[in-house]
Amino acid sequence: MLRTLQDVGTEKRRGAAAARTTAARRSSPVSWGLAAVFLGPTLFLYLVFTVYPLFRTFYNSLFVLPTVNIEQFVGLDNFRQIFSTDTIIWPAVQHTLFWSICSALLEIPIAFLLALALYARVPGGRIFRLAWFAPMLLSYVVVGPIWLWIYNYDWGPIDAALRTMGLGGLARPWLGDLSTALPALIVVTTWMFVGFNMVVFLAALHSLPGDIIEAAYIDGAGWWRTVGWIMLPLVWPTAAALTVLCVIGKMKQFALVYVMTRGGPLWSTETVATYVIKRAFQWKTVDLGYPSALATLWFLATLGVTLLLVLTFQRRPQHEA
Amino acid sequence: MLPVSRFARYAIAAGLALFTLLWTAPVLWMGMLSLRNSAEFYNGPYGLPLPAHWDKFRVAWVEFGYQTYFRNSVIVSTGAVLLLIAVGSMAAYFFARYKFPLREPLYLMIFASIMLPPQVSILALFQMLVRYHLYNTLTGLILVYAASGLPVTLFLLRAFFAQIPREIEEAARIEGANDWRMYWQVMFPIARPAVTAVVIINLVEFWNEFLYAVVLINQQASRTLPLGIMFFMGDREQDVGMIATGLVITILPILVLYAIFSERITQSLVAGALGSS
Repeated sequence: MLRTLQDVGTEKRRGAAAARTTAARRSSPVSWGLAAVFLGPTLFLYLVFTVYPLFRTFYNSLFVLPTVNIEQFVGLDNFRQIFSTDTIIWPAVQHTLFWSICSALLEIPIAFLLALALYARVPGGRIFRLAWFAPMLLSYVVVGPIWLWIYNYDWGPIDAALRTMGLGGLARPWLGDLSTALPALIVVTTWMFVGFNMVVFLAALHSLPGDIIEAAYIDGAGWWRTVGWIMLPLVWPTAAALTVLCVIGKMKQFALVYVMTRGGPLWSTETVATYVIKRAFQWKTVDLGYPSALATLWFLATLGVTLLLVLTFQRRPQHEA
Repeated sequence: MLPVSRFARYAIAAGLALFTLLWTAPVLWMGMLSLRNSAEFYNGPYGLPLPAHWDKFRVAWVEFGYQTYFRNSVIVSTGAVLLLIAVGSMAAYFFARYKFPLREPLYLMIFASIMLPPQVSILALFQMLVRYHLYNTLTGLILVYAASGLPVTLFLLRAFFAQIPREIEEAARIEGANDWRMYWQVMFPIARPAVTAVVIINLVEFWNEFLYAVVLINQQASRTLPLGIMFFMGDREQDVGMIATGLVITILPILVLYAIFSERITQSLVAGALGSS
């Protein structure tokens, strides 16, 4: 599997190169009819369900839309309101960024350590790898209820274990407590995605030049120094790519929050995504305009963060795994 | 490869086994709860499912609407995947093997939409689907899903088509195949491994999808499984046993596939995710 995973990487690179050469060698002109048949349906889907809604959201942000058919132009009022009177959006932004950063700091080091353990070719490694990866296949809506039960105050396993150990004072309704609700959700996404990060790290470790590592070890570098000075720097680009993926993924976070806490208690787990959706569909005042303005700003913010991360890490991430 | 002593290796394995047990405990617990009723659950939350109430699956299926939700999920995810493969693979092939003006910018524009947070376009999508009577319909959801899967599909398939040797194409050309037959009878069958990967990535994604579904579907008859679970929880929050049964019904198809094709699935999802970074 690991070998094939590397193949996927090289295939990609070869593929990109081949795409250029085949096209260059092929000189026969392409007719409009042919392009319409092969590209038409994709372009239709893309323009109608991706491009149009995007620009329509930008456009809607300048209006108040009490129903889908009535619109009142308000100019930049929605944006002004976001920056002056909205008391929920800033905590929501903070929670989202906090989530992104904590996840990256948790998922990636844990995944690296686990990958390192499996790299030592422990017995049963394949089973471990498959078991750790599995949570990623589950829907947030399935994961949510299970963890609601795990965090339950009356009979949840965490509080039950604390009480048995005589630490009942620490037991609490983890999702009902303002200070623990958000960290509790972060634990859940960590549980879901550590396995994925680990698989990628393991593939990267296996693609390292084995002789260099062995040479370092034989020269007396020792276990920890070989890991820290040779292997870690070599898999750094992989860690960078995973960080980008992790941060971008968490900036979209919606379903888990919606299922587990609905943003509560008292907005303490509200993310930008949940706020936009709640504001659009569950607010007392029905209006698509204001949430569109929020979404527009959030689009720019994610774009900015993505560019920032990619520039920070300098390289195109997909070449590294 | 670093030298690790035999003893160290077994010590690590023992530690990892314990860790893995803890890691999988939530899912195992859910599995046990799915076979116990809620009265048993409140008597002892961690008991074994003895006796096992297999009947709960029938009850959930027939009486609590999971039959409908399951059917809708199957229709939406397979419908969207079929549409996506038919449409997207042709485009990927065209991008890989034909030369035309604006080829690269056009491809990059479609691919870049992978970065779009879905909550940006969903407000306008809602408005649009309501206006064109696709709101609350499975057709609407299928179209939205298919469009959302385009970037990763084009990315993986284009790379695969690009590296198929030109000789195959020339031979088929000499045999007199036109572009259409060349694609469906020669190229598409060759691309089967890549197509399988794309099918897996999108099938898992669509089966689990929640945001589009919760915004675009608002009636019981059109709910997919994730929506069904959420509404069931809203109605019967205390019925932990029955909720667990619904969860197991939802993940069973995915887990069965994972048990059979585990390596393929991990590989495909990793390739898809890295491609999209």
